[in-house]
Amino acid sequence: MIIISPYAQKLRNGKQNPKNYPYWEELISLIDEPIVQIGIEGEKQLVPDFRTNLPISALRELLWQCRTWIGVDSFFQHLGWDEGVKGIVLWGPSDPLIFGHPENINLLKDRSCLVNNQFLWWEATEHRNDRFVEPKEVIEHLKNF
Amino acid sequence: MSKVLCSVATRGRYFTTLPLVLNAIINQTKPVDKLIVFDDNDEPQDMRKELIYSYFFQMLDAKKIAWEWRFAEKKGQHHIHQHANMEGFEWVWRVDDDAVPEPNVLETLYSHVDESVGAVGGSVLTPPYLPDTGAVTGLIDNIDKEPNIQWGNIYVTKQVEHLHCTFLYRAGVCDYNLSLSRVAHREETLFTYSLHRKGYQVLVVPNAITWHMKNPQGGIRSETKQEMYEHDEQIFRNVLKYRDHTIVVLSSGLGDHIVFSHVLPDVRNPLVFTCYPEVIQGRPISEAIQLFGDIEGHNIYRKMDQWKWQDSLENAYRKMYL
Repeated sequence: MIIISPYAQKLRNGKQNPKNYPYWEELISLIDEPIVQIGIEGEKQLVPDFRTNLPISALRELLWQCRTWIGVDSFFQHLGWDEGVKGIVLWGPSDPLIFGHPENINLLKDRSCLVNNQFLWWEATEHRNDRFVEPKEVIEHLKNF
Repeated sequence: MSKVLCSVATRGRYFTTLPLVLNAIINQTKPVDKLIVFDDNDEPQDMRKELIYSYFFQMLDAKKIAWEWRFAEKKGQHHIHQHANMEGFEWVWRVDDDAVPEPNVLETLYSHVDESVGAVGGSVLTPPYLPDTGAVTGLIDNIDKEPNIQWGNIYVTKQVEHLHCTFLYRAGVCDYNLSLSRVAHREETLFTYSLHRKGYQVLVVPNAITWHMKNPQGGIRSETKQEMYEHDEQIFRNVLKYRDHTIVVLSSGLGDHIVFSHVLPDVRNPLVFTCYPEVIQGRPISEAIQLFGDIEGHNIYRKMDQWKWQDSLENAYRKMYL
């Protein structure tokens, strides 16, 4: 089983968080094993098994049941690292050298995709699909687990 | 040689002590690298039109001293000092607008600077009150029992725990407490004590006399509300009360808490205020605000921005709290 944590925190201005990976549907279609999506109520459901609003303790237990996990730059990549369960993080405008953990597989398309100031509110950054790696690249890394 | 910014916060003293102060700064034996006058007047004026001031500005230009006249936010001098603190200079010499330094003051203060020093102050004399401060310790525990060591002549260099009024300090290391009221009572005590707590030496040194021409008009004495002083005093007392703890305020996201949980075991005697007690146990953030007022200094993102941080979030927390 693979866990996916597709979305970063909702923005206060209602815009899409620029850290959200734009190709989840395509990526999911390329994965040939059970997937559990975790998130909060109101987020778009991408797979049949969508578990919302789980407490931290339940998420930790779930991490120990998965083969690996795929997420974006959100709390979940820190939780996976904290539990010592290696996963894949799909980076966009935020810097994995600052906010990531080398124990994970950090997929960043190019450092030119990073925003200059990493420490402002994300509301100020536009979402751009071209900041992210293609699903095929993610699958190549997933196979190597 | 490190660059020194001189900052002067002024209010209500355009035509009394401020010109004396500016003249004294211009005529220091060690010139400052830049002078910023933060104008906190309720009705600021264009001082370029004033004869004496126009001469000051020309003297600064002639001496190749960069200068700036900046209109402040009218929130009190602690906000001004924090701006100066973050201007990007290694050292800031803060001079009050009624404190006239003798020509050698900056040179003397700066001669005591090394890697271990956080702040250096000299005598700040207010005649006719000239107490003998030879036996004064300058320790924070004695703050209610002894006069300020800078009020008298200083004959030997001494390590203390707090300074007042005017001094040279290492910039960008500690923050001014921005939750103080506009009177900013105890702001310099809190600030220099935080440098001491950070492990830097805070020194008083001889042969650096500033004449404090206390002026009943202008400055913080423009504010008379007793409740402002009481508010600030309460914050000061709470800082002292919890000084044996490392105060940790995690007013940040869930992921930040998880990362910080790896730093926490190394924090000395932590007192933690937290948003996510299921990740890190602690007291609510509202209590931190109630006790210490300003918690913005604990904003790790603001800090990383100030530091132009390029290392990991975990190491940023380590820099902040270890």
